Amino acid sequence: MKVAIFSESPENEAAIRILVDALLGQPTEVAHLHLSKLVTRGWPGVRGSLSDVLTKLHNRREADALVVVVDTDDSPVHQVEHEQPGSLDLECRLCYLRDVIRRTQAHLKPRAGMGPIKTAVGVAVTAIEAWYLCGIDPHATEAAWIQGLRSKRPPYSRDDLKKAVYGSARPSRLIEAQRATEAANRLAQDLSSLESNFPIGFGALADAVRSW
Amino acid sequence: MIESVHFRNFKVLRDATLPLGQFTLIVGPNGSGKSTALQGLRALSQPDAWQFKDVASVDLIAKNVANVDLIAGEEAEVEIQCKIDSYVLKVHWERNSNGRIDDEEEGTMVDGFRKRLREKLRDVSVYSLDARAMCSPVQILPQVKLQPDGSNLAGVLDQLQSEEPERFEALNLAFGRFIPEFDRILLEASVPGSKTLLLRTREGKHKIPARDISQGTLLALGMLTIAYLPNPPSVVCFEEPDRGIHPRLLRDVQDALYRLSHPESDGEMREPVQVVATTHSPYLLDLYRDHPEEIVIAHKIGQETRFERLSEQPDLDDILRDSHLGEVWYTGILGGVPIQP
Repeated sequence: MKVAIFSESPENEAAIRILVDALLGQPTEVAHLHLSKLVTRGWPGVRGSLSDVLTKLHNRREADALVVVVDTDDSPVHQVEHEQPGSLDLECRLCYLRDVIRRTQAHLKPRAGMGPIKTAVGVAVTAIEAWYLCGIDPHATEAAWIQGLRSKRPPYSRDDLKKAVYGSARPSRLIEAQRATEAANRLAQDLSSLESNFPIGFGALADAVRSW
Repeated sequence: MIESVHFRNFKVLRDATLPLGQFTLIVGPNGSGKSTALQGLRALSQPDAWQFKDVASVDLIAKNVANVDLIAGEEAEVEIQCKIDSYVLKVHWERNSNGRIDDEEEGTMVDGFRKRLREKLRDVSVYSLDARAMCSPVQILPQVKLQPDGSNLAGVLDQLQSEEPERFEALNLAFGRFIPEFDRILLEASVPGSKTLLLRTREGKHKIPARDISQGTLLALGMLTIAYLPNPPSVVCFEEPDRGIHPRLLRDVQDALYRLSHPESDGEMREPVQVVATTHSPYLLDLYRDHPEEIVIAHKIGQETRFERLSEQPDLDDILRDSHLGEVWYTGILGGVPIQP
């Protein structure tokens, strides 16, 4: 299965692929992204390019599936109520990305001999480094973040998470890729802790991938 | 760490305070004083070496003097506010005189601090790398230093190779990641007593003399070399470190700069270096979205310049919520862009 991974940084995409392979129980082939912008990604880059990426992957018939993972940062965390008809919350990044995918695919011509690209969206609450700390730092969980938002006292910052994972809030490309891959390999041995500590953001990804 | 520098009558910087951190990236329109601020830092390293006939328009390198009328008795001043004990050091240049340092104590003076501060200031290096200067053969001398334009690059690399082979190997690997076309930095003796820089291609293993290498590749190598020095200057300033480098490679530029200012970011063990850089690139600026405190906007208002930390803009989080920092800056919302006539 040829799968394209699209996230906020190329350094995280190898790690996300390891998690996707673990969810599928088999290795995936790399489908390359065709990005139309040279700008840095981050949330604005994924938000602005997702439709183009999906369209190009579809038209070039080079991918069976697309996985998208972003950080929630300080945006609202997804809630089950958002999935009720008419309750979409476009401030929620999971809702937003799913909506972009739905609207983009609605305009794509069917591919002869191929179905539409399968998609899966994950949101890391509050940043993907929290996933990497799963099993190491018991405080880095979705529940802790949501509780912190409610009490207006976030339990950690993005810099705190980066320091814990990379040893620096400004990791080099090399260190970021190395530590992310190490963490993903560890997590892939037992995905249940990721699913229990990050039921919303990783859970959404896991459910979608397993449904392919 | 130098916390801020105040300029008075120093070229375009008539009365401006530049806030500094461990890493600072200055953006602003042409003529807003970005380069002048770096010149001021360089002048502080050896104030008595410079004499200005006209302190309002000085060229610190060539000592050229432009014809700008001054009010009689006016003098230029660069003042540094340092972190330790709020110690203030001022340097004055009066008309037709060498620079003069005035010390002003605020708080308890730490023994030896003044000496350490002077040493730190002497160790300020401002680089405006020039590819042509970087590819020249270099006579091998002990303790050769990289010059502001990148001259002596071959000598510095040769020294690194012989004295710090592990660092040299790490530099080779980093350069290969930055510019994958090449896999090896080579230094050959073109004539006895001198070294010439060549780069080896990854495919075909061809040796390419530095004079035939693209400007951007040489500039990248120069910057990386500084980042891999075992004892870099304590304050390093770069004029447009992104110059000649493809936007997709700017993350490597950021990594090299952070390796200096935040050595732990790349597993480096030496002391941090204070880094000040300038840019006009929205793509480089984008990379600092998570650290707006590291960005300083140079606002040009008439003939005056005002520096402002980006993080001090009160509505920044709302503005950047779904947008690229570089694009937002380019629109002019944040300031620091040329004014339309």
